[in-house]
Amino acid sequence: MDNPFAKEPKATTAWLWQVFTGIGLVILLGMHFIANHFIARGGLRDFADVVAYLRNPIVLVLELLFLLFVTTHALLGVRAILLDLGFSGRAEKRLSRLLTGVGVLTVGYGVWLTWIIIH
Amino acid sequence: MATLNYSRIRRTGRWVDVRRRKLGMWAYALNRITGIGLVVYLYLHLGVLSMLAHGQSSWDSFTALARSPFYLALDVILLAIILIHGLNGIRVALTGFDIGVRVQKRLFVILMLIAAAALVVAAAKIFAV
Repeated sequence: MDNPFAKEPKATTAWLWQVFTGIGLVILLGMHFIANHFIARGGLRDFADVVAYLRNPIVLVLELLFLLFVTTHALLGVRAILLDLGFSGRAEKRLSRLLTGVGVLTVGYGVWLTWIIIH
Repeated sequence: MATLNYSRIRRTGRWVDVRRRKLGMWAYALNRITGIGLVVYLYLHLGVLSMLAHGQSSWDSFTALARSPFYLALDVILLAIILIHGLNGIRVALTGFDIGVRVQKRLFVILMLIAAAALVVAAAKIFAV
């Protein structure tokens, strides 16, 4: 069978990061989903449970790591799809900078929200 | 100034059209379409979580709504998208490293069967809570 990826250029750093974060997400998303929707009573935590859950330092680190991994993976995926549209080299750099900014804002918002919740 | 190559857009945009394509192309398109869906969901999810910043009444009234059958059905759809993207993504990563290229069609079918089985179990659990 033909390999549809054979004509693709050599693996880029971005693609390797996408694979790395993807593997991490299989573990982190699995844990996030099980902890928040299968173990939690009624499939969702009420407000007091969310606060208690996030005040656990191990949970806090894992949830923030999950946010970092999911944002990186998602925006690298968006970048890969948009690059298929045939941007020039200069536009490609601008797109990368823009998506990096979006990623920083997303993770920053998540960290801020977590801080507000646990305090 | 940023420039776009329109002939390339037409050429590369063809991945969306999977009519009369082989299974490998379906799997490729499926990975991208589910990925776009999950990016949209990520930001919706972060928006919903902002209710936590508004305090207990705001969040607890949302969770009451989210336990309705309609929202539980949406959860099952979300889980289906996650399972398809995640398991198909494992195949994409393997073939990208030239692993299992010859068996990737069979691998895709097996992984999608695993996704279907996991979805049935998870859906039963979601509606049982």
